[in-house]
Amino acid sequence: MESQGFRRGRVTSLMIAMAVVAGGLVVQLIRVQFGPYAPVFDARARAGNGRTERVTPARGLIYDRDGVLLATNGTMYYVEIELRQLNDTSRREIASVLSKLLVLPMDDLVAQLTYDWIANGQLRIRLTRQDSRVGRLPIRLDPTVASVLRDFLADPLAPDLSGLDLVPTSSRHYPNGTLAGHVLGIVNQEGEGFFGVEGYYDDWLAGKSITVERTFLPPDAKLEPDPPAGVNLVLTIDADIQELAEIALGEAIESSKAEAGQVLIMDPRNGEILAMAAYPSLDPNHYEPWLVKAEEDEAGITPGVAAQYEPGSTFKVLTMAAALSSGSVRPDDVFVDTGVIEVGGVPIRNWDFGAWGPQTMIGCMQYSLNVCLAYVASQKLTAAPFYSYLTEFGVGQLTGIDLAGEVAGQLRTPRHPEWTESDLGTNAFGQGVSVTPIQLITAASAVANGGAMVQPHVVREVASPQGTYRPKPVVLGRPITPEAARTLTQMLALSLEGETRRATIVGYQLAGKTGTAQIPGEKGYDPKWTIASFLGWGPVEDPRFIVLVRLDKPETSPWGSVVAAPVFQEVVERLVVLLELPPNQAVPMAAAGG
Amino acid sequence: MRKARTQAFRQAPWRNFRQSTGNTLLGLVALLVLAGMYLAVNGRLADAGRELLTLEGRRADLLRETTILASQLADLTSPERLLERASSMGFHPAHAKDTEYVVIEGYTPPAAFRAPAPLGSPVQPSGGLSPAYTETLAEWVLRTVEMVRGG
Repeated sequence: MESQGFRRGRVTSLMIAMAVVAGGLVVQLIRVQFGPYAPVFDARARAGNGRTERVTPARGLIYDRDGVLLATNGTMYYVEIELRQLNDTSRREIASVLSKLLVLPMDDLVAQLTYDWIANGQLRIRLTRQDSRVGRLPIRLDPTVASVLRDFLADPLAPDLSGLDLVPTSSRHYPNGTLAGHVLGIVNQEGEGFFGVEGYYDDWLAGKSITVERTFLPPDAKLEPDPPAGVNLVLTIDADIQELAEIALGEAIESSKAEAGQVLIMDPRNGEILAMAAYPSLDPNHYEPWLVKAEEDEAGITPGVAAQYEPGSTFKVLTMAAALSSGSVRPDDVFVDTGVIEVGGVPIRNWDFGAWGPQTMIGCMQYSLNVCLAYVASQKLTAAPFYSYLTEFGVGQLTGIDLAGEVAGQLRTPRHPEWTESDLGTNAFGQGVSVTPIQLITAASAVANGGAMVQPHVVREVASPQGTYRPKPVVLGRPITPEAARTLTQMLALSLEGETRRATIVGYQLAGKTGTAQIPGEKGYDPKWTIASFLGWGPVEDPRFIVLVRLDKPETSPWGSVVAAPVFQEVVERLVVLLELPPNQAVPMAAAGG
Repeated sequence: MRKARTQAFRQAPWRNFRQSTGNTLLGLVALLVLAGMYLAVNGRLADAGRELLTLEGRRADLLRETTILASQLADLTSPERLLERASSMGFHPAHAKDTEYVVIEGYTPPAAFRAPAPLGSPVQPSGGLSPAYTETLAEWVLRTVEMVRGG
């Protein structure tokens, strides 16, 4: 009996003990579920199940008009350190390996790895490097270096890199390097586009980021939606023509020892930019130095649309176009050049300070006579119509080209408080007025295109997930009559043959005008340096291209006819082949140049 | 009949134990079958989820690889590279004076380049797993009952 009672007591004690434990568990469960720390436990549990992630779509691709890939995406890797996994050995080894692989100062890496980040609340850091021009930048590894480090991480006999993590990040890649770099613009490490096409179409190219809940638990895994992708762009740029323009410009810069330059090629019929070359060339893969430069001179990154200058004699095309369109002059009208004319009390002289005697309007353009053009603007056309025409040509206004960073140029009209009558005389031959290359070529395209001025643009097609969109040409205006446009084109073709044989091509009739502009400074015009330029188009019977060549501060010769006209010739000789333009048999070979 | 059964159980009480043990075992087996089914479904679910995660990772890798290859192709076919290669083979850029134009009847120039649609589009619907992997047994019973009711 005793032993049975003892056994019962033992069982009862065990059951009580188990009940106490079970009760404790129940109390703890209630505390975890509903107690004051319930949200903390809940958050911890959720953190273990997955995480919220911001997913960014791949940036849209950029092609030239024939499908040559101009901008694509690559993968680079940030070097991140999970500080809680670091130990003394891995600190040393990580610094040593990175220092040797990337040729970085060891001290700098050791300093980052030994700093007490955890005390500042940071558990993970991204390693950076010092750039002498920009400051501190995150270290980014290309896939080759990243794969070496991954091999180290996987190999137990390799250096201990505990705590090191390689985080992939999308990076913009420009396979053609400097080709069309100024047109494309740049994309920073955060994936934001600036300048050029990248800047103008940044929102479209970038697509839309979305937030997704990533689960670490396979049973909860589900297909996540892709973020809305960025659009792909097809440019009007022709990579072959762009290459041709850049080579011709590079050779001209070298031979003339010019400081900078641009070559713009446009189809005057629809405003498509076929090439926009600029020197110094910009490689968007290595844009950091340009950002520093942009702080002083932003125009340097997109000079084609931002580098304004006084155009000099190429501007005479617009003055003569206005005079012809208004009926103020005819090509055969004769002007007797005495070598000087006074406008608003300021004497205006020719480029050679000479008197050229009786000249027709063709002769005025052929010999680029400042006195004649000042006479035409001030006495035949007069101020109000002259400035009205310039406004119609878009001088002093944005063209609206789809490139970020365009500036408007400067034109003082009689309504401007600082305008004086002498401005009328100097503006007539391109002094005292500032234009950008794109502005000048757009205005002149009206003459090449029978009086209609089409808005310049660089994007030909937009391919989005919803479909494809092709922008239509936009006519900005018709500043001159078709008759005036035809007459002036013929005048410039004749004058070009007389002015310089350096810009003519056998079998093709071309129209054009040279320009040699002084550079204004704080103390008047620079006595030494000029901007040499050439503006021309062809074939005269049906213009398919218009070309602007600009060379800043050439050393070998200041004249546009000597340094810029040959660049036009070099470009057009190849351009007619690339555009498949057959020669015109009706053009007399001797008269056409050669 | 009932009387005979009662008498048989009274004469051999072990029959009671055997009956209750049998009932308990039956319940246990049923529970085990259910647990086994639950485990099998969850196992398949976990397997499918694991495969999904792996495929997502593989897809990301392939997309990355595609862009790298496209980029390398673009590097190799850039106008500068092609010009270099052509020059090394003795060619030079054709100028107007080197070119003879021949009129070919019926010639049509190549069609303009059309850009491909961006990668990763259009947007895919979320929740790609079948309900068979995600619904509970109770939900399945309810769904089945509703299906039967609805005909």
